Amino acid sequence: MLRFLFKRIGYGILVLFGVVVVVFLLFHALPGDPVSLIAGQRSDISTRQSITKELGLDKPLSVQFLRYVNDLSFVSFHEKSPQNQTKYSYKEVMDFGGFIVVLKWPYMRRSFQTNKKVTEIIFDNVDDTLWLAISAMAISSIFGIALGVIAALNQNTFLDHALISVSVLGISIPSFVSAILMAMVFGYYLSDYTGLNLTGQLWVNHPLRGRELQLHNLILPAITLGIRPLAIIVQLTRSAMLEVLSQDYIRTAYAKGLNRFHVVIKHALKNSMNPVITAVSGWLASLMAGAFFVEYIFDWKGLGFITIKAVQSLDFPVVMGVTLFVAAVFVLINIFVDLMYVVIDPRIRLS
Amino acid sequence: MSEIKSLDPTTVLQVEQLQVSFMHHGRETRAVDNISFKLHQGESIGIVGESGSGKSVTALSIMNLLNAPPAKINSGEIFFNSKKYGNTDLLKLPEQKLRSIRGNEIAMIFQEPMSSLNPVYTCGNQVDEAIQVHLNLNKAEAKEKTLELFREVKLPRPEKIYDAYPHEISGGQKQRVMISMAMSCNPSILIADEPTTALDVTVQANILRVMEGLRENHDASLIFISHDLGVIAEVADRIIVMYEGKIVEEGNVFKIFNNPEHPYTKGLLACRPRLDVQMKRLPTVSDFMTIGDSSGNGQKKHYKSIGEALLLNAELKKETIEKRLEVIQGGPILQVKNLTTTFPIHKGLFGKAKEEVVAVDDVSFDIYPGETVGLVGESGCGKTTLGRSIIRLVDPKAGQIIFNGQNIHELSGETLRQLRKKIQIIFQDPYSSLNPRQTVGNAIAEPLKIHEILTNKKEREARVYDLLEKVGLSPSHFHRYPHEFSGGQRQRICIARALATNPQFIICDESVSALDVSVQAQVLNLLNDLKKEFRFTNLFISHDLSVVKFMADRIFVMNDGRLVEMGYPDALFDRPKEAYTRNLIEAIPKGDVEDIRKAQLRRRLAYARKTLFQNE
Repeated sequence: MLRFLFKRIGYGILVLFGVVVVVFLLFHALPGDPVSLIAGQRSDISTRQSITKELGLDKPLSVQFLRYVNDLSFVSFHEKSPQNQTKYSYKEVMDFGGFIVVLKWPYMRRSFQTNKKVTEIIFDNVDDTLWLAISAMAISSIFGIALGVIAALNQNTFLDHALISVSVLGISIPSFVSAILMAMVFGYYLSDYTGLNLTGQLWVNHPLRGRELQLHNLILPAITLGIRPLAIIVQLTRSAMLEVLSQDYIRTAYAKGLNRFHVVIKHALKNSMNPVITAVSGWLASLMAGAFFVEYIFDWKGLGFITIKAVQSLDFPVVMGVTLFVAAVFVLINIFVDLMYVVIDPRIRLS
Repeated sequence: MSEIKSLDPTTVLQVEQLQVSFMHHGRETRAVDNISFKLHQGESIGIVGESGSGKSVTALSIMNLLNAPPAKINSGEIFFNSKKYGNTDLLKLPEQKLRSIRGNEIAMIFQEPMSSLNPVYTCGNQVDEAIQVHLNLNKAEAKEKTLELFREVKLPRPEKIYDAYPHEISGGQKQRVMISMAMSCNPSILIADEPTTALDVTVQANILRVMEGLRENHDASLIFISHDLGVIAEVADRIIVMYEGKIVEEGNVFKIFNNPEHPYTKGLLACRPRLDVQMKRLPTVSDFMTIGDSSGNGQKKHYKSIGEALLLNAELKKETIEKRLEVIQGGPILQVKNLTTTFPIHKGLFGKAKEEVVAVDDVSFDIYPGETVGLVGESGCGKTTLGRSIIRLVDPKAGQIIFNGQNIHELSGETLRQLRKKIQIIFQDPYSSLNPRQTVGNAIAEPLKIHEILTNKKEREARVYDLLEKVGLSPSHFHRYPHEFSGGQRQRICIARALATNPQFIICDESVSALDVSVQAQVLNLLNDLKKEFRFTNLFISHDLSVVKFMADRIFVMNDGRLVEMGYPDALFDRPKEAYTRNLIEAIPKGDVEDIRKAQLRRRLAYARKTLFQNE
């Protein structure tokens, strides 16, 4: 078990390294001059030079890459100086006379636009996305599995056909269309009845009461985001369930004298969960990447929102940072899912 | 109709005029056609018939476990003498009452122990569950009872198996878990649907013994379903023979075995490979009766009795000796020297094997051209690995395999492909060894195409038509898909595919183990006929010694990866040297009258002893 975990983490680090290489090369090949983006209008030569030096743009690409990796790594080597201490906020581990090995959080540099640390930007916005993704996945898993089971148990009836047709619609509708429709219908035309807003954030700064949690603003974007995974989970659950229900051990369970509910919930459902877990985890990971359109349309200040804004203003460090962050989330969720499989299906051995 | 008939007190179950059909694409096929039978208290009846004869459907109807569409119970009554509800018609009982009978008063054991247990729960959990549904026991008490049952069915280390998942234990052990689950609530009827068909003969013998013991201890009546009369003879008092949904013959075991009346029963009895007589050809059911009405009447002369069938097909001693002399004329076609094949079980961090299982352990033998060599042993003895090592589907670790003077171990790439043209293999499971999305014709034509034997599509088709006819199918089957065929027909397709390249050597890996005895006889005869025509050498791998005895010129016995004994069939059977071989021989259900008498005597004695104790 433990060895499996180490192995998977090792693979995960390799994957992340690959992503770092690709991201680094991609953004250095892109047009756009970071120096003038940072310096803005006040572009006298000495400022430009110091910015170039600060960013290391005068060094060859390989050196720049090594520095980038060094910045990202949890364990890194730096010169001992107060500037570096404030820049990286590290914990010193070993000192080789002015040259130190340190422990620190990954340093993803600063935004060209706001000069805030990218890590800070990500952590300021990630909770909005996290809540949105988790509630969307919760909605779609709970309803998706329930509807899938209902469809499977009523195979080839009107209910089954209706659920399948609706789910096909759910899969094929683009998210920007569904987002606009949801926002218009429930947040505008029917807002008197639903009490929901067209747009809104999770946290709102109230002039008198300060920062307030606005949970009702979560409803529309979460449902919109959940539509497609929900439709897919319905279909996956249905087909897995049908397969399992025709197995011999289901007949054995009936032969024991168990009732239908018990057979379906205890004996069939657990066996049909493998494909569903794969789908749910995949979706959760990709929703963490920020559902760009949905966040944009509902004005939801999550990762997707800041990424779109950063792309528009060529704020490379933010885009790179978000990309790496999302890749890390993917890797972590995948490791978690592999562990889940073992819990659900004892036939899968970790090796 | 609606009145509940009062059963006489000794009858526990009475099936009256049961008719079940299946609807498929609007077409109705009758699976069970107006059958009636009775089961008495403490009695055990055997229902015998080939796949599709309606025996399983009958069993599932009693439990009301048929899937409602496509199955439909058209008419009939099934009276059951219930402890809880008195005399009831099971077909009219509401679902909730029926549930309290299922698993409690009527329990069932299924054919496939591998798939009949839920893979994601422990064995203990699944038996506990059956107990807790019907008996008012808490968790700890249920566990106690489960462990007691596990001990009763003689499972080794019950506590360990209680916490084991089904995939962690062997097939025989799984079936024991199923039996303890079925017996957990002391049912008055136990229905066993082919409970030993998927198991080795030696395991089968043990399971039958366990079932018999349990039945006596728990005082249950038994309905035992099998395609093999030999197995039924060991457990049943009375036999019901089913054919095409009808009961064609019914009677006490002695009567069925000594004086069968219906030609189908005679056919079933005659088609089992025998240990006492060496046969040239196995009589099949079609030798006794015309199968299917459309084929015209009486073009063929049928045997009147089993004796006649045996007499006309027996092989004379002289013929056997001639055959043996002919075989050793030339040098060996295949020489295996010190072959060892291993499988790694634990891989280290860098993929290096830490531990390994020795599947084939220093095995040497010669096979002569034109010979059929039987390789027997229990599952896990390494016989399949040995077969696969020969055509390098598995790479051996050490040793030499010399085929026609070529060292197979050294071949690679193109030469290895050439070798596989000359050595073909026919696998055990005809259901999974054919690609479901490939037509039968294409499956047979594929080796012709790959080995560039016939490059012209027309020629290939002609050859496939020819092969289909050779294996007893029709050229019109060319464009059909495997799911449209029965198990026996699929195995014929696999045989045709193996023959397509005109191989010199064919390995049959348990090729008839998944088939009914009646179909098995046909396929074995076919293999023998084809062998004469195509002149190939055959390595016939099986766990069933009686089949091997019929097929083989020489027999190799394998145990734990080693060849423990080899010899001519008659010598091996008359004077087995190894205890292992003797066990294998003794485990075969022989189905002769002497055995039946012994089995019945054993049951009577046990019963008498029991009633005696009860009276005291």
